[in-house]
Amino acid sequence: MKYKFMEDFMKGIFLVCAIVSIVAILLICIFIFAGSIPFIQEYGFKNFLLGTVWKPSNNPQAFGILPMILGSLCVTFGSMVIGVPIGLLTAIYLAEFSSKKLYKFLKSGINLMAGIPSIVYGFFALVVIVPFIRDIFGGTGMNIITASILLGIMILPTVISISEAAIRAVPKSYYEGSIALGATHERSVFSVVLPAAKSGILSSIILAIGRAIGETMAVILVAGNQARIPAGLTKGVRTLTTNIVIEMAYAADKHREALIATAAVLFLFILAINGIFLIVKRRTNN
Amino acid sequence: MKKLFNFIITTIIIMSILAGCSNNTEEFNTGRTINVITREDGSGTRGAFTEIVGILEEGSNGEINDNTYIEAIVQNSTDAVMTSVLNDEYSIGYISLGSLNDTIKAIKVEGVEATAENVQKGLYKIARPFNIVYKGELGTLAQDFVSFILSVEGQKIIADKGYVQVGTDLQHYEKVNNMEGTLIIAGSTSVTPVMEELAQAYKEIHPKVSIEIQSTGSSAGIQAAIEGTAHIGMVSRELKESELSELTKQIIAMDGIAVIVNKKNPIEDLTLEQIKSIYTGKITEWNGLIDN
Repeated sequence: MKYKFMEDFMKGIFLVCAIVSIVAILLICIFIFAGSIPFIQEYGFKNFLLGTVWKPSNNPQAFGILPMILGSLCVTFGSMVIGVPIGLLTAIYLAEFSSKKLYKFLKSGINLMAGIPSIVYGFFALVVIVPFIRDIFGGTGMNIITASILLGIMILPTVISISEAAIRAVPKSYYEGSIALGATHERSVFSVVLPAAKSGILSSIILAIGRAIGETMAVILVAGNQARIPAGLTKGVRTLTTNIVIEMAYAADKHREALIATAAVLFLFILAINGIFLIVKRRTNN
Repeated sequence: MKKLFNFIITTIIIMSILAGCSNNTEEFNTGRTINVITREDGSGTRGAFTEIVGILEEGSNGEINDNTYIEAIVQNSTDAVMTSVLNDEYSIGYISLGSLNDTIKAIKVEGVEATAENVQKGLYKIARPFNIVYKGELGTLAQDFVSFILSVEGQKIIADKGYVQVGTDLQHYEKVNNMEGTLIIAGSTSVTPVMEELAQAYKEIHPKVSIEIQSTGSSAGIQAAIEGTAHIGMVSRELKESELSELTKQIIAMDGIAVIVNKKNPIEDLTLEQIKSIYTGKITEWNGLIDN
């Protein structure tokens, strides 16, 4: 009898723990959408989402977030162009080519990268990448390229660790079969092992997109933060996240609601990305 | 053999990257574009600056248009603006006079140097009030702290920080015995540094008092004062009418806004009109502003 009680009691505790995270996510949903839907209804869904002018100090105020949506997409795409090839090749090197000694060294370096606070990356970019880009392209040095390079570096740990795990998860027999057929080590890795790890690599890229789109503190320092439709690679850009953080401190009334609505749009983006991630994962399991 | 080859290649790549980083010893090139740096929408500093310089245009029907240059870089703190100007020879920004230090250069506006003295005399044009706001009646402790701020002792701290004191006929602070309790002050990031010093000095007089200062931004400070989560709000801009109807305000200091450039920049003096042209994007290159 006593054991039965203990059993039920502990079951309850585990259930509560499991529910905590669900409740948290529900509360976030409710807070964000309850805060933003009245504003969006009043301002007009189309005006808000497709408006190209963001001028909260004007009267009448203008809250179009299309520039920020495009900005987020540009910077995220740029970071993929820079981060994914480097990350992927690093993962392949770590899994298939590196010596044990070097592996230890590289792996701990990459783990360290994942743990560095993003603001530190931001300062690094501000004092190293920004002057470098300024010397090459002129202008302010705070532009899409700088932000892309920075984010490209920041997503490396995500891409590398998940891709490496995916490559290592490919059954050894694939590789051995390929070698037995007379292929070289390189050929076996690139033509047999890598395609087999495809979906794991894809998941790593999707998670990296999520990280890039959600990154804030580092991007603020180097993106220039101009609230207008991205006008070129060497021009500044403002992303959804930076829009919220930059203006939240001083925002009042409508302006504040507009920022919460921006957060709602960002939230939908992240939901979409996670949805795609789940679909990719399910396809793999089948 | 292969290892050695790899090592050499890596070394060459790293060396060439490092070499690329280290050649910036040129003269100031007046043909370069002006890199305009501004603060984010809603910031007290930006609000005051755009209004005084005339970047904010008011129409006849009460519509307001913020004409800040669309290419202007937006930074969301005084420190970030200073770092940007420090690192970029061709940039221009604006910060609170009290935060000014000698890593950057403040230029004269209409021939008047940006100093506390000139702000008090009314000669330096770009100046704004530092307000504190509160809802209803202040408690005993808060009241005493406010009278400390407005006393000779309090205003001296403000002047020492590089800000400008409000009145001339000040009284000495009279110590009230047995003050104790907690005071929460929230708001403007520009007012915070000086408020911290004031709180420090006040705590030395009244050791039992604890003062908590939250640097959250002017509008957040007003919000906190209205909601009652803070006893006193700090605001570094003029208050809106909707805010004044709920709160009482008190000016505790004046602050100049310094227009800053990099030390390598030879420019010394700008008129308000020129500053306006720079910040609205009408002047985009340095060569119109600097006589050779």
